[in-house]
Amino acid sequence: MLNDLIIGMAGSGGDGIVSAGESLISALAQDGYYAILTKSFGSQIRGGESSCRLRVASTPVLNPGGTLTVAVVLNWEDFLRFGGELPVGPGTVVIYEQKTKVAPDAIPLAVKPAIVRAVPMAELAMKSAGTLQAKNNVVLGLLAGWFGLARQSILEGLRKKFAKKGAEILQGNERAYAAGLDYADKNPLEGDWHFNPPQAGVGKRLITDGNELCASAALFAGCKFFGGYPITPATEIMQHLQRDIWKHGGSLLQAEDEIAGIAAVVGASFAGRKAMTATSGPGLSLKSEVMGLASLAELPLVCVNVQRGGPSTGLPTKSEQADLFAAAFSAHGDTVRPILAPISVEDMFGITVEAFNIAEQYQTPVIVLSDQEIAQRKDIVDPVDRSRFKLVERLEPTAAEMVDYTRFRLTESGISPLSHPGMKGGSYLAAGIEHNEHGDPCSSGEMHEQMNNKRLNKLNPLKQRRDLFLLEGDPTAEVGVISWGSIAGVALEAVRTARAQGLSVKLLIPKLLYPVAEEVYQDFFKSLRRCLVVEQSHQGQLHRIIRMWVNTPAEFTSLAKSGANPITPDDVLRRISAMTRATASA
Amino acid sequence: MITSTTDCGCESTLVAPAPLTTKDFRSDLKPIWCPGCGDYGVVTALYRALVAIGRPSHEIAFISGIGCSSRIPGYTTAYGFNTVHGRALPVAQGIKMANPDLLVLVAGGDGDGFSIGGGHVPHAIRRNLDLTYIVMDNHIYGLTKGQLSPTTPRGAKTSSSTYGSMEDPVNPLLYVLSYGAGFVAQGVPADMDGLAKMIEEAIRYPGFAFVNVQSPCITFGDPDDQLKIQKTKMRKLAAEGHDPSNWLRAMELAQDYGKELYTGVFYRNPNPPPTYDSQIRERQATLRPKVAAAG
Ligand SMILES: Cc1ncc(C[n+]2csc(CCOP(=O)(O)OP(=O)(O)O)c2C)c(N)n1
Ligand code: SF4
Repeated sequence: MLNDLIIGMAGSGGDGIVSAGESLISALAQDGYYAILTKSFGSQIRGGESSCRLRVASTPVLNPGGTLTVAVVLNWEDFLRFGGELPVGPGTVVIYEQKTKVAPDAIPLAVKPAIVRAVPMAELAMKSAGTLQAKNNVVLGLLAGWFGLARQSILEGLRKKFAKKGAEILQGNERAYAAGLDYADKNPLEGDWHFNPPQAGVGKRLITDGNELCASAALFAGCKFFGGYPITPATEIMQHLQRDIWKHGGSLLQAEDEIAGIAAVVGASFAGRKAMTATSGPGLSLKSEVMGLASLAELPLVCVNVQRGGPSTGLPTKSEQADLFAAAFSAHGDTVRPILAPISVEDMFGITVEAFNIAEQYQTPVIVLSDQEIAQRKDIVDPVDRSRFKLVERLEPTAAEMVDYTRFRLTESGISPLSHPGMKGGSYLAAGIEHNEHGDPCSSGEMHEQMNNKRLNKLNPLKQRRDLFLLEGDPTAEVGVISWGSIAGVALEAVRTARAQGLSVKLLIPKLLYPVAEEVYQDFFKSLRRCLVVEQSHQGQLHRIIRMWVNTPAEFTSLAKSGANPITPDDVLRRISAMTRATASA
Repeated sequence: MITSTTDCGCESTLVAPAPLTTKDFRSDLKPIWCPGCGDYGVVTALYRALVAIGRPSHEIAFISGIGCSSRIPGYTTAYGFNTVHGRALPVAQGIKMANPDLLVLVAGGDGDGFSIGGGHVPHAIRRNLDLTYIVMDNHIYGLTKGQLSPTTPRGAKTSSSTYGSMEDPVNPLLYVLSYGAGFVAQGVPADMDGLAKMIEEAIRYPGFAFVNVQSPCITFGDPDDQLKIQKTKMRKLAAEGHDPSNWLRAMELAQDYGKELYTGVFYRNPNPPPTYDSQIRERQATLRPKVAAAG
């Protein structure tokens, strides 16, 4: 019996491999499993090679996983192009298209897999459905048959999917699926490859991705304006919002560029509305000047940056965590903008709500660093319990405070009541130029110091928000791991496995990346002799940022890889074991 | 969570409680423009226009970029926003989209509007939100002390063109007319009555309205381009018998930008198309009840 199954499939664009992955995850959701589906494409808009990975379990899945349990190869050239994204190991079952004319003992892989099966997929599709397009349903049949996955739900899904296409096409695809099942039944795999049935009596789960949850969270948080410009992999946030935001009394602008997008957001916020933009690397660079304006004018806004490989156009369709420096430091002047990062698809909802809350409470731009993986992979998640979230509204001046309204009054908290056009008595001049308490332009050094104090110190309470940090493991461990963003799920699995193996280790996952919460790290470091920071960037940006602010343990190392180079739980586990050995022998 | 569309906090947009005077629109902030700068005349004309319009200042949002001219919102009692260089129009559009009940004014220099911000102008025009954009066109960068601006004439010697400019200037009037602006006018501070009236008309126009003010820079500008000389050079379009509904004729007259100093309304669309903000309201109204019904 398998408890954890990772399927990787690759083919050329027309093979419908991604669509097979989607059908499979829908069926698995129906049956009460948890799963993660990631898709990966060549950089062509259409056609070209495509692949997907699907990891399924009966408990929540933390990450897309490492080595494949099952590799499905429609043609070898395309499969190999994905390299480390679809790793085959000695325990993998490899299923490939017989038509590729590669002998089972001559497959082009460095390792010898557990089982290798050449299947006449194209032939089965032609015979059953009369079209090669049904190949992907043959594959679904093979998977359902050999691994006992969602047999009935896949069939129902296919019926739904093809219902509109007419009886002939529907029946053809049904026959292709049946042909795959039949082939699997007649040619069983050696050993027990059947997957654990799901827990009984589970509630309705949904299949969603980070971009979609971001949009629904924004509407839930009360976002009334979106301004932005299309860019992969952030565009879907705008696409979801443009459908629904009007229904909530809001509006949306697809602007002429990213600068105009965030400028309009600043305008909407000045007008008293909760407002956001969403972008990816190149767009984040363009937005930095206007974000500085929002910092100085103390106007709330949320900027979601879905990280992709960079710099410049970089790897637009691949995940990376290399925009942390840009998010933290791309503003000129003495500026701190809070940065939040979700650790999973599900987490994107709460993080987006939190971003609006922090923006409104502290009158500041907030950057959410999502990443391509969280944004675009499909997860089966439990429905979001919205009652868990409180919404924060900005502090408005009282009638008394509007008698001689002082927009930037120096208060103890650093937060001053914020009026908006339409409020009688609340008129003031917002500006990018330094101001006095009334908002009048002012270039005195003393006032500049006071205003910098105000703008920076008002954010200090954030550093005490321990709920924005996940802590797991043995509190007295001498070995520790830190990770963030989508990679945190990998570190989490590695730490759990290590602990199950009896190793003493603990894990810290910051969701608040900036300002750096020194005390939280210091407390974490107290028991540590060795600590590893795991992240998806070449320089190891969080590793470096922590060192700027906090005294780190004697051995403070980094496991960092550029985007599109998977970091697997095994990679992390090996480093934890090595650190444990070193600590024991020291 | 659902709020009504008219929750801007405005008391009344139709009935002004007591007649307003220019004092109601002049702030306590003392302008720091050079004595003799054309921008003084622009703000005075604006006060007059706002008195005529009669909306209380707290219902007005006045947005600018960066430059000498962009200081203008601070000299009014409106909600002012002195944004960053070149981005006044997109900020203003965000404000108007977020709260269409507000009267939204935008102002800045020729550099702000037609150089760094030039890419935003066509989009503001084609989107057609109901806003009024006043450019104080002095053919020079004032704030940064006299460099070439996008409207500096070819050959002009400035602090960044010792040997003379080698570029043709942008023609702001043709620029906005060709993108389809519904209201296009040009004024001079030397003709205060005309300028005030023109700004008032621009505000009343339901859609994107553009006023180019030939507002001389006394410190770095061409000595032949100052207020006194404007008085002798200006030619009122009305006196020339121009019909402002004639777009082709307006395009023809606009070609003389830089040669003739025409003042008045070049073009006013006799059949203004629906504004973007009115379409926002409509869309919100048609889609909203469905959510309410669904709870
Ligand atoms: C991004 C950016 N680039 C450059 C500047 C410097 N700068 C400020 S105003 C200005 C030009 C001013 O000319 P104009 O817009 O015509 O206004 P004027 O001062 O003449 O009224 C420049 C270049 C800036 N503030 N921001
Ligand atoms: S420098 Fe020119 S534009 Fe600026 S205030 Fe002085 S006269 Fe006016």
